[in-house]
Amino acid sequence: MARVKQSRSCETAELVSAYLDGQLLPGELDTVVTHLGECADCIAEFHQLKEVRAALRTLPFLEIPEHLLPDTHPGELLSAYLDGQLDTSEHDFVISHLDFCTDCRLELHELDSARTAIRSLPGLEPPEFLTVHRERIERERWSRRRVVAAGVGIAAAAAFVFAIFGPTTETGDLDLIPLFDQHQARVSVDSGFNVIPAFAPAGESP
Amino acid sequence: MADDRTPTWEDVARVYGRKIYNFAYRLTGNPDDAADLVQEVLLRVRKGLSSYTPGSFDGWLWRITRNAFLDGVRKQKRRPTSPLPEDDRNVLATSPSPDEVLASVRLSEDIQSALLKLPLDFRECVVLCDVVGLTYEEIAEAIESPVGTVRSRIHRGRKMLRELLTWPV
Ligand SMILES: [Zn+2]
Ligand SMILES: [Zn+2]
Repeated sequence: MARVKQSRSCETAELVSAYLDGQLLPGELDTVVTHLGECADCIAEFHQLKEVRAALRTLPFLEIPEHLLPDTHPGELLSAYLDGQLDTSEHDFVISHLDFCTDCRLELHELDSARTAIRSLPGLEPPEFLTVHRERIERERWSRRRVVAAGVGIAAAAAFVFAIFGPTTETGDLDLIPLFDQHQARVSVDSGFNVIPAFAPAGESP
Repeated sequence: MADDRTPTWEDVARVYGRKIYNFAYRLTGNPDDAADLVQEVLLRVRKGLSSYTPGSFDGWLWRITRNAFLDGVRKQKRRPTSPLPEDDRNVLATSPSPDEVLASVRLSEDIQSALLKLPLDFRECVVLCDVVGLTYEEIAEAIESPVGTVRSRIHRGRKMLRELLTWPV
């Protein structure tokens, strides 16, 4: 060692941290390296600073509490994903998200089932609530006809009606109720209808 | 993050949230203050993104983060402070990594409490360098000071830490 500086306020000392951080400006590196070769104080400082720097960098890098992060689930992108309608970056985002998010995997599965069910529906009978509605309209139409028929007031006509439809006076409903029941029976057998209750508004089930 | 596009605030939260949290935690030594700061920073980012012009995103973000922190410190000075109970502190230091060996937990606690004894100017530079991992240039942008100031503060901050860690008060 050429000489040992006694001064604690060595000008080059301040460069030692930057040297450790690889943050010296061009030209400074030579100065520091040369100086470290001849200044015992700076060598001691170099070792101390190196220890402190290393110690700081052992501090654990903490996880951020989850609630601080925004909700970054793909949401409606999942449906577009099933339909193959995502661009590349959206697709990558969805794929990597599904990798770790069980909630979204479950949602995707449900969406997929619903989508498959909808797509496999046959040409359907109208949903039951529509049928019931139409039935009511038709029943009213029958009743009106009966009123008209009664208005005619011909005994022969009455006898004719009796002969055709039997003893009951509820002529119109007699024909429609079995029809309605048949429809109900088919609904319960036809698997194509099974998905309907899940989508029909509440209170529409028989 | 690429400099040629403006990220969404969700991007910022995803990419930088953890760094901001660690910055805040090491500066404050307290998870509640750290969480508050993250929320405040993300709020400011959300508001500020509309007027953000693509450039040095890191400089912009850390300037916001640092200013939010200083505003928080100013606010806190106006109300009486009560030190964190000793029990709490132990929980904090051990909870992040339960399987960590006792010795290094002890060391983290010592480093953390030494950090908290540094004057703010030095603490923020050291944390931005050694915890967040910014370059001197980026730190200079964040604290809106010349690189020479950053260099000197990091150096002197580490020297103070060295003293504090060698002869704990
Ligand atoms: Zn020297
Ligand atoms: Zn998800």
